[in-house]
Amino acid sequence: MPNLKNPPLKNRERDNRIHIFESIRWYFLRNIVQTKNARKVVLSDGVSITKPYSFGLFYLLILIGLSYYFVDLIVISYFEITPFELFVKRIPNFTNIVSKMITDFNLPYLPRIIQPLIDTIQMAILGTFIGAAFALPVAFLASQNLVKSKVLTNVIKLILSFIRTIPTLVYAAILAFAFGYGTTIGVIATAIFTFGILSKMLYEVIETLDLGAFIAVESTGATKTKAFIASIIPQIMGTFVSLTLYSFEINIRASAILGYVGAGGIGILLDDHMTWREYGHLGVILALLLVVVFIIENISRYIRKKMS
Amino acid sequence: MIVFNNVSKVYSNGTVALKNVTVSINQGEFVAIIGLSGAGKSTLIKLINKMISVTSGTITVNGEQVEGLRGKRLRQYRRKIGIVFQSFNLINRTTVVRNVLASRVADMNIIATLFGIYSKSDQILALEALHKVGILEKAYTRADQLSGGQQQRVALARTLAQRPSVILADEPVASLDPITANQIMKDFKRINQSENITVIANMHHVDMALKYADRVIGINKGEIVFDGPSSEVNEELLKKIYGREITDEDIMFRDQ
Repeated sequence: MPNLKNPPLKNRERDNRIHIFESIRWYFLRNIVQTKNARKVVLSDGVSITKPYSFGLFYLLILIGLSYYFVDLIVISYFEITPFELFVKRIPNFTNIVSKMITDFNLPYLPRIIQPLIDTIQMAILGTFIGAAFALPVAFLASQNLVKSKVLTNVIKLILSFIRTIPTLVYAAILAFAFGYGTTIGVIATAIFTFGILSKMLYEVIETLDLGAFIAVESTGATKTKAFIASIIPQIMGTFVSLTLYSFEINIRASAILGYVGAGGIGILLDDHMTWREYGHLGVILALLLVVVFIIENISRYIRKKMS
Repeated sequence: MIVFNNVSKVYSNGTVALKNVTVSINQGEFVAIIGLSGAGKSTLIKLINKMISVTSGTITVNGEQVEGLRGKRLRQYRRKIGIVFQSFNLINRTTVVRNVLASRVADMNIIATLFGIYSKSDQILALEALHKVGILEKAYTRADQLSGGQQQRVALARTLAQRPSVILADEPVASLDPITANQIMKDFKRINQSENITVIANMHHVDMALKYADRVIGINKGEIVFDGPSSEVNEELLKKIYGREITDEDIMFRDQ
């Protein structure tokens, strides 16, 4: 039988990693191998109760194992695949590009990017709006507390999580292959993404609601849909608008690069100037994007704050 | 008229909630159902609205057999039956008048419901209902800003706006303080008398039941052990209904 009474002492000659490993091993042995006595709690009148097994330790071990693996990966890639010196050597390349953006800053170019920028913003607004409109009814169908059929809610949840795994850019790329280039596919891609995340966030809100009001309206002879509209929507409206604005913020940032895959807007210009190494033009676009995204995010945050 | 004919209810977990209950309640009566918790009071109420279905026996309300009702016909039937809940069940984040109007959506089309477009007559009906329970001035206040008693009044107004022939009340005053509880019971009584609406209320507190109801039904372990005018109820009967002495907990006003 190993020593279970005292945890291993830290030995100066061993390194920390070995010490951590020894400690986990000790904890494991003490709590799982030496089962009943360690888990039995005896009260003063002789009554005893045995603590159930906790899986916390198990998960902790998995987590430690995983993190060890990833740390290893980084360490290896750091030393063997991309030597650190090479990375340092290339830093001037990056600073050169940035300084060119500033020194060659092509301000007269500004008026020509306004229209593509407006296209981008319109793409984000329309996409968010369409996605949000579809999200509300689907969130209702996905809410376990409102819909009796567990099959239906789970199927919808599965489809939603499938939709969420694919990024907006990939949707836009696929749509561009199928329907050709243009802002329309940018709108559709944004709408699909918004629909995916908003539906999830909404049904999670609905599932925590108190259903008293819903039951009351249903008991007046209204259908479930009408009861949902009359009793659930007023309760989630604030959250809904706030979440929609939040996804709009995400969409504005995402739609700026949608042009890369042919969805129109300012992304096309970004791609062009990057290819032709026109860093002065690139600087103007990035500066403008920075200002616009900053303004929109702040307006949106202000409205959300006002609403809550 | 509500007629229970030999009604039994057994829940899926095997609990026998009601055993061979036969009772009839006339239009316009004020009936209080008393008994210990778990005796089957709530089951009786829920059966009338068909929130749950009978295991055996029949329930007939105004000539209509309740068990057979399904889908659209059930919803139409429910429009004539109002329910008031112990926990009020209001839509918190919206105005009082919208809460009352919520009972009108059953008759409206879905587009009007979605955009909250209520007809002039429905709006007047809702405001009149609020006036009847004495909180018209709160019509445009948010429901969650009201006190418990006021919220229960809104719930009562919501039920009135349904133009019901029966109001079912499941422990309507159990979560209110004694003074507010008395006021709410007075509202029930007034509405019962002026509109000739049948009121069937589950009451936890014996004194409130005897004070406001015309007729008392005592239930013990799923069976009706007493059914008669409230004036006939005495200590001995209560002992029979409760299966024990009446304690302070069964009474809202200790002095009475």
